Order: sequence, then structure tokens, then C-alpha cells
Amino acid sequence: MNAIDTALTGKSAVKLISGNHACALGAIAAGCRFFAGYPITPSSEIAERLARRLPEVDGVFVQMEDEIASMAAVIGASMGGVKAMTATSGPGFSLKQENIGYAAGAEIPCVIVNVMRGGPSTGMPTRPSQADIMQARWGSHGDYPIIVLTPASVSEIYSETLRAFDLAEQCRSPVVLLYDQVIAQLSETVALDGAGHASATRKWASGPRAAYQPYDGGSDAIPAMARPGDGYRTHTTGLTHSESGFPTQQPEAVTRNLSRLFSKLERHRDLIDSSEALHCDDADVVIVAIGISARAATRAVEQCRAQGLRVGLFRPITFWPFPEKQLRQAAAKARAVLVPEMNTGQLRLVVERVLAGVAVEGLHLFSGEAITPSDIAARATALARGA
Amino acid sequence: MQDARIEIRIGGTGGQGLILSAKILADALAAGGKHVAQSQTYEPTSRGGYCNADLVISDGEVDFPITTALDQLVLLDRLAIKPSWPLLKPGALVIADTRLCPELPAGNYRRYHLPLSRTALELGSERVTNIVALGALVALSNICDRKRIEQAVRAETPRGFLDLNMDALKAGYAVHVQAAAGNNAEVNVGT
Repeated sequence: MNAIDTALTGKSAVKLISGNHACALGAIAAGCRFFAGYPITPSSEIAERLARRLPEVDGVFVQMEDEIASMAAVIGASMGGVKAMTATSGPGFSLKQENIGYAAGAEIPCVIVNVMRGGPSTGMPTRPSQADIMQARWGSHGDYPIIVLTPASVSEIYSETLRAFDLAEQCRSPVVLLYDQVIAQLSETVALDGAGHASATRKWASGPRAAYQPYDGGSDAIPAMARPGDGYRTHTTGLTHSESGFPTQQPEAVTRNLSRLFSKLERHRDLIDSSEALHCDDADVVIVAIGISARAATRAVEQCRAQGLRVGLFRPITFWPFPEKQLRQAAAKARAVLVPEMNTGQLRLVVERVLAGVAVEGLHLFSGEAITPSDIAARATALARGA
Repeated sequence: MQDARIEIRIGGTGGQGLILSAKILADALAAGGKHVAQSQTYEPTSRGGYCNADLVISDGEVDFPITTALDQLVLLDRLAIKPSWPLLKPGALVIADTRLCPELPAGNYRRYHLPLSRTALELGSERVTNIVALGALVALSNICDRKRIEQAVRAETPRGFLDLNMDALKAGYAVHVQAAAGNNAEVNVGT
């Protein structure tokens, strides 16, 4: 890390930086030493920063021929034992999906940043959206678990980038860092305090080499990885595999391995879950929002509270696996729930399922503009007054 | 909830350096201990399309970082009028370039129609219109200490352009005074 970045991440340094810059700083601080990507608005500033910074810390930056190859390179680097990431947006996230599924199935730790811009297709490259919530979870074919984090501010992009690398290593899983164009390119005065951060390390194979099984989940459902050069015999494939790592379609072995894969994240929810509840304890109306919409909702909640209305905000920070228990608790007294989001109802669908029986209303904007506090406050006020 | 929130927009077209001037002002304010959020809207065309660079300034943490009610507006192209005018607070400060933004809608604003781009041209390059505008904004709004804005301009300027940018900033401080003296500008306060 060079002097400027050290100063930025020092204990009390306050500096004006953008969300994408914070992401690059977080990656370096987390120990990321490999980036492969293909530039795309509005994520390119991450690649731009890392292209300069990674060589200074003996890391590698590669601009690949496209997003498919970038994702493959990230997986390869991680299998080589290096913390690796890529960053993209819009169509680029679609292109990465096949290999994201590979990383999930083969359990390769890696971090994928997706800055959400307007879609579908090429859509609106310079405008914000929150329409990749479902793609981040279900974008690759087949059934697989994945971790998705949704920060809402520049300082949280930094801290969640640190956490993304930790969770990827600890859970042997791809982790998607998902945020909108507004906070990606927004510059804010922040104090980045990663000083006390101790980066998580991967569970490497140890013990007798002859007994090593690359996909034996052990006691915590997370298999130990063979570090290249340590002499453990291993095999990695996108085909369904048994504990040995070799392909199999034998029903019992397939069921056993996939069941472990699916249980893996559930067993580590204490580590993974993160959410925030603001004024929810007595709330008649609970707003559920992420990213810039949650920032607008925070102001709306304060405006409603000033009017004496019992309105609260629930904000998932880990979005997938969805913090269901925490939402149910936050909305325990709610008569109505309002979901402002920059899409046609992806988060609302989740909330409706989790809070079945509670009236859930969506506030959807997909014009390429951010939802304003006054729009949210107006709807929340009407709901709180029973209109 | 009422907090001491000030919102500023610099509007024009891509390529005018609007985001740079906003970043310079944001850096200067942050150095003075303010909490600042600086955002922008731009078109994929980058050059020539509508662009604005906004600041939200507060003594405490900025909750919602996007502008919703402008206290100060700088207009460097007529394209910026339509998206910005509805956001103006009554009595807001409006600084517009006489050449690039010749006509302004009516309203109860502190309006300064100033020869910003012409001043830049006279200094040798239209490219420093953004810095002339920044100087005019600082002079007319007192939003920021002059020493801090000068430090921020220095920090952001490549060495070869330093003299030109500092001249542009200082010309910007004085442009409203000179314009009024030379009857070059429509200075329209509270109409």
C-alpha cells in the first residue's frame, strides 16, 4: 500500500473518496492480490485504481479479453492460493454468470463486484438501478448457494469489501458485492478504519496426505483446500463430484455432496448475517430497503418520526442468504411494510414471502433516478395514518 | 427533521470539467471539517451531453447524499436549466454564463449572469471556465475559505496548468465586480 492509501486507511484519517475507490482500498487491505476484469461503466474506477495499486503490493492486475475470461482467471488465481476479485456491471455480470456457478459448485473463494446500472441489456450505463438482486442470487444455472452483500455508503463499501473477502475464504464461496451506481460514484467524507481488521485465512489441507479428500466437508461442512505445492492430491471440476473431487453421477454421492453444499452457508449464518434496524421496535410501518434507497428511507424515517409517526427501517446488509429471522423480528409489530426499490419489485417479492400475511406495498422506480426521501415519506405517512 | 444542509449544483455539459470543480470544492470543504457528499449525473456520450456535479454539505453526517433542493446553482450550459430549475429553493443563488446560457427563466432568485467563459477565453483557454465559475461561486456564496479553495485547486492541478488555473480562480473571484462596473452583466438580485 502506498503512502496515500495508508493515510486514507489510518485510524482517524477523514478523506473524500468515491465508493468504487473505497472498494479498491478495501480489496488491497483485505489482502486481494489478483484482479482480472474488463472495464465497464459504472464499475471501471475499481479496475483503474487496482491497475495502479496492485503492482505496488506485488499483486497482479490483468485486463482480460472479456468478462467470461476474467471470471475464469479469478477462479484460477484463487485456486493458486491468492485472494482474487473482479468487478463489473450490467451485461458484464450476465457474462460472468456461468463461471460464478463454477466457483459456487467447485467451492472456489472469490469476490465479484457488481455495480448495478439500468437495464435490461445495455440499458442505462450511467444511471443507477437495483434490478440485479435476483440475478445475483439465481443468475447461474442449476441450484447453488451464494453470498451477496449490499452496502449503502462509501464507508460501508470499504467495510463490506473486507467482509466479502473474509466470508469467501471462511465459507469457500463466491461472494457478490452488490451496490448501485449512485453510491459507486458518490464521493463522501469517510474515516476508513480497517486498522484492527485481521483477514480471515483459508482452511488449507493438513494432516496425512493419503487420507486427504478434497471435498470432505469435515465437521463444519467446509472442505479444506489443497495448497499448490503442499503435495496433496486434488481434483477440481464443474461436473458433480464426490468427496474425492472426481466426477460422478452416482445418485447417493451427488445427493451427499450437494446437500453439504447447500447446508454450508446455513450452518454459518452467525458469520454471514448482517442487517440493521432503525426505530423498528415500536414501528407501525416498517420500510425495507437497500443501497441508496435505504439512505433515502433513513431520511424519510426521521421526517416521519418528527411528525410523531411510528415508522422504522430494516436494511439487509447481507442480502443473500436473506436475513429472514431479523426481518420478522423488526416487523413484529408492523401493520404495513413499504419496499422502495429501483426495480419493479424484486425485494418486495422476498419481503412478501418472509412476512406472509402482512400488507406489503412496493414503491418502485426504474427511470434511472434514485428514489427521494420525500417520495418515501409521503407513502410511509399515508400507511402510518391507515390510508 | 431540519439540519444545516446546503446543496449546490454545477450544471453544464460533459467535458467542461464540472465534476472536477465540484471535487475541488468538496475537497476544500472536507479539509475545513465539513461532511460532504459529491455526486454526478452524466450521459454515456461523455462529451457534449448534459452533466451535473452536485454537493450536499452538512456539519454532521449526510444521510441522503443526493440533491433535492438547491441552495446554489451554477449554469454553464442552457441544457442544465430544465433539469435544475425545479430543484431551486426560493432565494437560491444562481450564477449563469452569459454566452453559454443566455436566457434564464424568471423567479425569486439571486441571479448573476456573468461572462465566465469569456473571462476564461481572455485568460487563454475556454477550458478553465469551470475554475472561473468556481471562483465566482466562492466569492458570491462565501461557502468556502479562499485559502482552502486555492490549496484544493493547487492539489488537483497538473504543474503545467497551475498558473492558468490560479489566474482563472482569481478572475472568478472578481468577475461579478468587474461585470457590474463594466455593465457587462445582468446582476439581478431578488427578482
